Amino acid sequence: MTVPLAFENVPLSAREREPFTLSVAPHQTVAVLGDEDSGVDRLGGYAMGLERPRIGIVRTFDTDVEAMPERERLAFRRRVGYLPAGDGLLQNLSLRDNVALPLRFGSDATPFDIDGRVKVILVAVRLGAAADRRPARANEEECRRAALARAIAFDPLLLVLEQPFDGITARASAELLEIARGGETAEGARRSILITGQEIPTVVQRRCDRVYRLTRAGTLELETA
Amino acid sequence: MSSGPIVQIGGVAARWLSQVGALARFGFGGARAAASLPRAGRAVVFRVTLNQIRFTAVNAIGLIVLLSGILSFLVISQAVRELSQAGATGLIGTLMVVAIVRELGPLITALAIVGRSGTAIAAELATNKVMGEVRALEGMGIDPRQYLVLPRFIGAVASVFALLVVFDIVAIFAGFAAASFNGMTGTRYTQIVLQSLSAGDVWLTIGKALVFGCIVGILPSYFGISVRRAATEVPIAVSRATVASIVGVFICSALFVAIS
Repeated sequence: MTVPLAFENVPLSAREREPFTLSVAPHQTVAVLGDEDSGVDRLGGYAMGLERPRIGIVRTFDTDVEAMPERERLAFRRRVGYLPAGDGLLQNLSLRDNVALPLRFGSDATPFDIDGRVKVILVAVRLGAAADRRPARANEEECRRAALARAIAFDPLLLVLEQPFDGITARASAELLEIARGGETAEGARRSILITGQEIPTVVQRRCDRVYRLTRAGTLELETA
Repeated sequence: MSSGPIVQIGGVAARWLSQVGALARFGFGGARAAASLPRAGRAVVFRVTLNQIRFTAVNAIGLIVLLSGILSFLVISQAVRELSQAGATGLIGTLMVVAIVRELGPLITALAIVGRSGTAIAAELATNKVMGEVRALEGMGIDPRQYLVLPRFIGAVASVFALLVVFDIVAIFAGFAAASFNGMTGTRYTQIVLQSLSAGDVWLTIGKALVFGCIVGILPSYFGISVRRAATEVPIAVSRATVASIVGVFICSALFVAIS
């Protein structure tokens, strides 16, 4: 079975840390936590092929995304949902248009079909009332819901979430994680998820299959199983 | 290692060529990306382009009318006074067509748009980059050149063209007013201006509008999107974009004179 995401002998930061190997198996939710300067914030970029690690290789659905030609790389990324640190919402668009944007540029669906799909996603993330606000007029939780909605717009089987729970309550974090998981199957969550960040609420940790913490010594330790 | 003048000149030339190469890749990549837009994406690009034209052209009409009107009125007023003493008022048509319509019109229009919209494009795209929006677009599988650069490029070309038409029309009417104010009859002014105007002048002006529009659209976008992640890079990118655009406009203007 294809492993959705695998890091092989990849160093985490420029501080010459030991390379590590880590994989996110199908239906698993894996969190990697560490200090801000630990380099943990690079994992998302590596997984999406936005950056290339100095050594080692990162395979997303058995593919080295960064090595692909540009057009194919862009098309491939639509198979993976990405919630970047700081949300990355476009400030001149409403939250609704932010969610619709990847569908408008990355699918051949008609505008009518796209609007319908966006409505369904907005209901799923419970963003109905705030959807027509711009990010600057929405609160942090609403922005995070919109960013997650955008990440799941193509209904991907792998999600990469960077600092997804910063600045929001544990209750909202747990709810967002359930939305991200996309329901349950006999093997676990429908989607595979990689979460990176500094800290995640305990309630979210309990829902993760594995939580790793990058220690000050530069090693990756399994925190919970 | 030696660091003589030849090495230094070589280094500068290499950096410059590398920059030109990167700019060419950026431009051609953008053109290729434009060809692969899906239908819904084209609608988004169209909406953003209209917004860009509203900001770059419609909102700048007052500025262009003011610049064109004052410039033409001053030049033609002085020319009528001086040339009438030498009995050479027939040259006013040449002055209007060659100096104002063909040379200064495109130059001033392009410079006004560089100062007003080129800076805005560079600042906006640089901010998009610093705020992580460009990275998010790439992460979603959207080519930032499709969503951010293409509408600004098309908007800039269309706007420079439209504003140049406005500039020339206002210049001719302001010249008419200046000539009348200084004792020349309207019929005489119209006659000598029309006599001096040829189809070649019109084509040259159209060519300049398109080339200057490309410069105003592509250079600020390139410098804006080339910043990395620090907010301090935004003003530097704006400054570089402005200088490069002005230099580009002047160089192309000189090339037009050389080939025409």
